[in-house]
Amino acid sequence: MLARFLIGFVAVLLFLLESEFAVFSPLQLGEGIYYLIPRFLILYLIFLAIYYSRKKAMIYGLIFGLCFDVFFINIIGLYTVLYPVICYIAAWCVKRVHPHLVFSTILALLLMIVFEFVVYEFFYMLQFTTMALQPFLVNRLVPTTIGNLLFLIMLAWAFKYCLSARVFQRAQ
Amino acid sequence: MPHFSNKKLIILLVSVIFLVALIGFSLRDRHNATLPEKIIKDTVGFAHSLVAKPANYITGIFSNIDSLLNTYEENQRLKMRLEDFAVLKAEVSTLKAENSSLRELASIEESLRDFDPIQATVIARNPDQWEEKIILNKGTADGVEKNMAVMTSRGLVGKIVIATPYTSEVELLYTNNENYRVSAVVHDEKNREIHGLVEGYDVERNELLLKRLDSKVDLKEGGKVLSSGLGGIFPKGILIGEITEVTTDDFGLTKMAYVKPAADFSMIEHVIIAKRKTISVDGSDGGSTNEDLVNGPADENEGDE
Repeated sequence: MLARFLIGFVAVLLFLLESEFAVFSPLQLGEGIYYLIPRFLILYLIFLAIYYSRKKAMIYGLIFGLCFDVFFINIIGLYTVLYPVICYIAAWCVKRVHPHLVFSTILALLLMIVFEFVVYEFFYMLQFTTMALQPFLVNRLVPTTIGNLLFLIMLAWAFKYCLSARVFQRAQ
Repeated sequence: MPHFSNKKLIILLVSVIFLVALIGFSLRDRHNATLPEKIIKDTVGFAHSLVAKPANYITGIFSNIDSLLNTYEENQRLKMRLEDFAVLKAEVSTLKAENSSLRELASIEESLRDFDPIQATVIARNPDQWEEKIILNKGTADGVEKNMAVMTSRGLVGKIVIATPYTSEVELLYTNNENYRVSAVVHDEKNREIHGLVEGYDVERNELLLKRLDSKVDLKEGGKVLSSGLGGIFPKGILIGEITEVTTDDFGLTKMAYVKPAADFSMIEHVIIAKRKTISVDGSDGGSTNEDLVNGPADENEGDE
């Protein structure tokens, strides 16, 4: 019971922290301006989908995606759909193989890059941004990937502890 | 590949159609929140304001340490400016007195400069940063309304685009929105007023664009750009920034200037929302429509700033 509560609480906390960490961006280093986009929640949800429960991860994705859409971007349906879909893909990828922690970390990172790219294409199509592909890759995707990798390593560590303590079995 | 049964396929198709409809619906009118949206915004906003307090405290400690390190150098510079400041202050107070007595003589009561300040704290910032937006902890319950100017102690940062009862959303000056205009004024060396519009920004230089300036005027770099209050929404005299370069615009008909914003956009914590005292027109700064004058097409212009 406590473990289940904790899983939800961490999700809420990460959702709130994302926007607090966004304050540090954009970084101006020398000539270039670099954007660091915190993607803590989706990385956490990918891990939940792999190790805990696909269905619950998707439900969390739906709720937080809806909150994100309404609160931040005023277009309902973008994150609301993307969060659960990413969770679904993550769970589908590990259906047949036993998910080793290193494998899931790389998978989470790849899915985050895909996620970032889809969001970019969406905003580019709607002409909310005029950023070309190359500046997007250099100024946004690479710093974002590096920044989130740090978080991902900590997350993987926490999951390693949780898996050995069988937190997820108890929660189910 | 996952195997789909007929029933699942139908559910999938229906939800895709529903999704497209939902996105289309929310894209159509992004500047007015419906009731369920307002409820979600207020609830999430409340949670954010709980987290924002300790987070602001921690970032406050870091910026304090940062400013401590520069104290000596800063002190030297400030001492030099302090003497000028005393002279300037005396001058300002005499000018103010003169201004008010002249106003009395001319019986002008209201000024475009007057505004009621509403203090607000930033509780969240759009993490995906495709649209530059911040969210404040004051809403319509505190008198905040759409289109009000938002500034920090250093200068203008943006304007309110959506206000719910307990939160409000600010679109920053750094935006790709072409309809976002602020009517601005620059004083040249002879103290003449030069009017223009701040619209859009240059991504590469990270500076704002001041457009539609008369091609005959002689603008100098370093000129201070202020809001003019003539757009009908913003109060007059809020500092926007400083001119860094003057060029001609794309068509060669008018001049254009690059403006370095006075406010620091990366770490905004406390802001002032300016509620203009003079009657403000409905619509938006630079694209104002007065409903009494134009009843029909008012809808089209809604949301432009």
